[in-house]
Amino acid sequence: MKISFKNVSFSYTDSIDDAIIKDINLQIESGECVVLAGESGSGKTTISKLINGLIPLYQSGTMAGDVLLGDKNTADMTLAEISKYVGSVFQNPRSQFFNVDTDSEIAFGCENLGVEPEEIRRRIDKTVKDFHLESLLGRNIFHLSGGEKQKIACASVNATDPDIFVLDEPSANLDLKTVDDLAEIIKLWKSRGKTVVVVEHRLHYLRDVADRIVYVKDGRVECEWTPAELEAKGPEYAASLGLRSIKLVQLGGARATASESQGESITFRNLKFSYQKKFPILDIPELSLPKGKITALLGHNGAGKSTLAQLVCGLRGSWSQKRAARKLGTYLIMQDVNHQLFTESVLDEVLLGMHPKDETAAFEILESLNLKNYAEKHPMALSGGQKQRVAIASGVSSNRNLIVFDEPTSGLDYRQMLAVSATLKALANRGKTLFVITHDPELVLNCCHHVIRMDHGRIVEEYSL
Amino acid sequence: MKLDPRTKLFLAIVVNSVILSAPPVYSVLMFAVPAILLLFEKKWKFVLAFFSLYLAAVLGFEHLKTMDVGRVGTLAVSTMMIVSRMMPITIVLYYVMQTTKANEFMAGMSRMHVPNKVTIPLTVMIRFFPTVFDESRAIGNAMKMRGIRLFSLQTLKNPFAILEYRLIPLLVSITKIGDELSVAALTRALTPEAKRTCIVPIGFHVQDLVVFAYCIAVVVLFLLRPVS
Amino acid sequence: MPNVKTTGKKSSNTLVRDLVNVGIFAALYIVLAFLSSSVGYIPALIVFSTGSIALVTSIPLFLFFSKIERSILCCLIFCGFFGTAMFVMGQGILMLSISLLVGLLAGVALKVFGKGFAGLFSANIILCLMSSSMMLPLWTSTEEYLEYTRTMCDAGYVAKLAELSQSPWPLVAIYAFGILGAVVGGFIARRVMKKHFERIGLAK
Repeated sequence: MKISFKNVSFSYTDSIDDAIIKDINLQIESGECVVLAGESGSGKTTISKLINGLIPLYQSGTMAGDVLLGDKNTADMTLAEISKYVGSVFQNPRSQFFNVDTDSEIAFGCENLGVEPEEIRRRIDKTVKDFHLESLLGRNIFHLSGGEKQKIACASVNATDPDIFVLDEPSANLDLKTVDDLAEIIKLWKSRGKTVVVVEHRLHYLRDVADRIVYVKDGRVECEWTPAELEAKGPEYAASLGLRSIKLVQLGGARATASESQGESITFRNLKFSYQKKFPILDIPELSLPKGKITALLGHNGAGKSTLAQLVCGLRGSWSQKRAARKLGTYLIMQDVNHQLFTESVLDEVLLGMHPKDETAAFEILESLNLKNYAEKHPMALSGGQKQRVAIASGVSSNRNLIVFDEPTSGLDYRQMLAVSATLKALANRGKTLFVITHDPELVLNCCHHVIRMDHGRIVEEYSL
Repeated sequence: MKLDPRTKLFLAIVVNSVILSAPPVYSVLMFAVPAILLLFEKKWKFVLAFFSLYLAAVLGFEHLKTMDVGRVGTLAVSTMMIVSRMMPITIVLYYVMQTTKANEFMAGMSRMHVPNKVTIPLTVMIRFFPTVFDESRAIGNAMKMRGIRLFSLQTLKNPFAILEYRLIPLLVSITKIGDELSVAALTRALTPEAKRTCIVPIGFHVQDLVVFAYCIAVVVLFLLRPVS
Repeated sequence: MPNVKTTGKKSSNTLVRDLVNVGIFAALYIVLAFLSSSVGYIPALIVFSTGSIALVTSIPLFLFFSKIERSILCCLIFCGFFGTAMFVMGQGILMLSISLLVGLLAGVALKVFGKGFAGLFSANIILCLMSSSMMLPLWTSTEEYLEYTRTMCDAGYVAKLAELSQSPWPLVAIYAFGILGAVVGGFIARRVMKKHFERIGLAK
């Protein structure tokens, strides 16, 4: 099914002058796979909402122009009607499921559309076979990893058998292996003649499947390339537009052998954790992090990385481990930083952990993190990157030596990733030891000194860069 | 052994109202039902653990209630009593939660002519309890890391601050999840007018009749009991 | 520009958002109410438990009231859930009826006074009558309630309850503390709304 945008503008306010999407004309042909790329805030997510009908039917704002699915105008349809033609997958895997068990979740869309039970079961069986979901059936969704949840979300949409799939940053929380599975799913859809629209920062996994990459800037379609064209222009060109690399960055070439004990390091011994004695989730006899350096922790979802971070930060484990963590001074920057912002202004946030309270020192910390102009703002009203820096500032102000980051660049564009990387380097220069859990090879190449790779709760590889 | 969701609802209401107002004999008669049903679901570990704990609490209470155990002892005894009283409720709720899927539940409700306007929020509510605890745990962790404690000099100075620290991140993150959930539901055709189908067939069978009859029999026994 | 139109005004779609919000806030309210009512397990503090519920739940309720568009429907379902939860937990049908009545009144208050402070504040006070009614059976059907708690709690606690049930004043005190909690909570919630939610953009 064809998607056409005819002179479409949209603004989230009452006035069309504030438009975030400006006079877009775009044609997406039936069976095409189109990637919408661009920096955060460029309006690409808004375009995806125009396709699945959330604009104009749900989101309040002001709109001009028409969006046509085939020859039907979305403004004249209902969301239930649109959902027969358009299936949507969103960024955050934990907030898009309605059921507690996987089977019902896959059936959910079909049941809402009133499809006959026998037909639904036939579709589920087919979807499960196509997506290789046998091991996920009959499970509690709350116990699945982010990648598994995202697969279930794709499966649920697939079961309603729409002609168009719209994915809004589906890979933001996924590791490299799961991202490949996602690419397979998109390939499958394309091979069946479906139209696929992906809004995405990470481009590498779409290299073989995308027909076009549409670059959106300031609410306009700036230019278009095929993946091959973009690749030919070289990584510097993509970086200058704020795009992530289209080729998967390999760490292999840059690695050096793990150099023995140059300088001091922080050492943890006997990091063990398990829910049941027989199945240890984590079993690490010794972990040493070079002082004043940035160490990256790589590994698949479910390899035990987050558990390790929690152990190191004293949020889990035995009483003596917790005490050791407090004595050392560790701080975790969570993936969802909303959980760790408590006060009404950025300055208060920094002062909260400071003993004694010293405003000049607080301002100095804010200055070093480019937050000085936001001192009086509410932390939660800031952008994602700024929030993250506020959380870092609160860790620095409470004099922590080891700062652990849980996926600091998930869902960030190239420029934001560089900003995070610069912040990390500055922290290391101040003498902080950093431990970064990440799936992002570009970040690792940009700022990390040392890499640890984990699998099944053990360290399998260590090297320096 | 599959029961109709309506039977389960009936069971939950009857069991809980009997358990809370009847002598222990009747509550044992009542919660034997979900226990047996859980055995059919192969949850024998849970049932075993449940019964050992329940017996310990009941026997402990019976043994200690006549003794003078002092102030702390009284607290322990009343805790035992509360545990032994609340446990039957948990086993019923555990059974219902474990075996009822959201779609089954919605289908059962619509068979009882409960409008979607009630079923949709009810389903969301049930799905949201684990989320509230998950989010709250993450925030608790962050507070611990920041050294914000319930009992400290700082909290004493401003007791309402702790309420704010705890509630505001929680409210921000759950309203965000709520907004995203509404959007996900809408793009998958959930509307208050929709006539849903359900892949799990529901309907009354022999086992439903047995459960109904048994529950009613126990209630009648209870109502006709000799009043001392 | 041609054919400029406002969007997102279609009612059936905002209805789903309202319903989802009811579900979320009901889950949160029930959890908070149970946690904060545990104060009442200490016999000396029984009469304060209603106040503590009203105080703690004021902030989420303010946010809930300001987010919903169909006041009466949403409040009715919200309170209906709480009443049903209490009913399933063994409280009588009286509790359920009170809950529904309270929900209706709170919805009407929101409709009449609007979504300003007056509306939110009065709805919050009306709603606290629901959580405060949890102890009502002690007076309306004293014997049954004592029997019920006797099986739940130890003799000293029941004696304390029996003592309370002798005069109507503790009942007045329970409601008074509930309302006091809602009033104090309301003012805190107003401050929190201004200080946090409005600046974040969660509420207008």
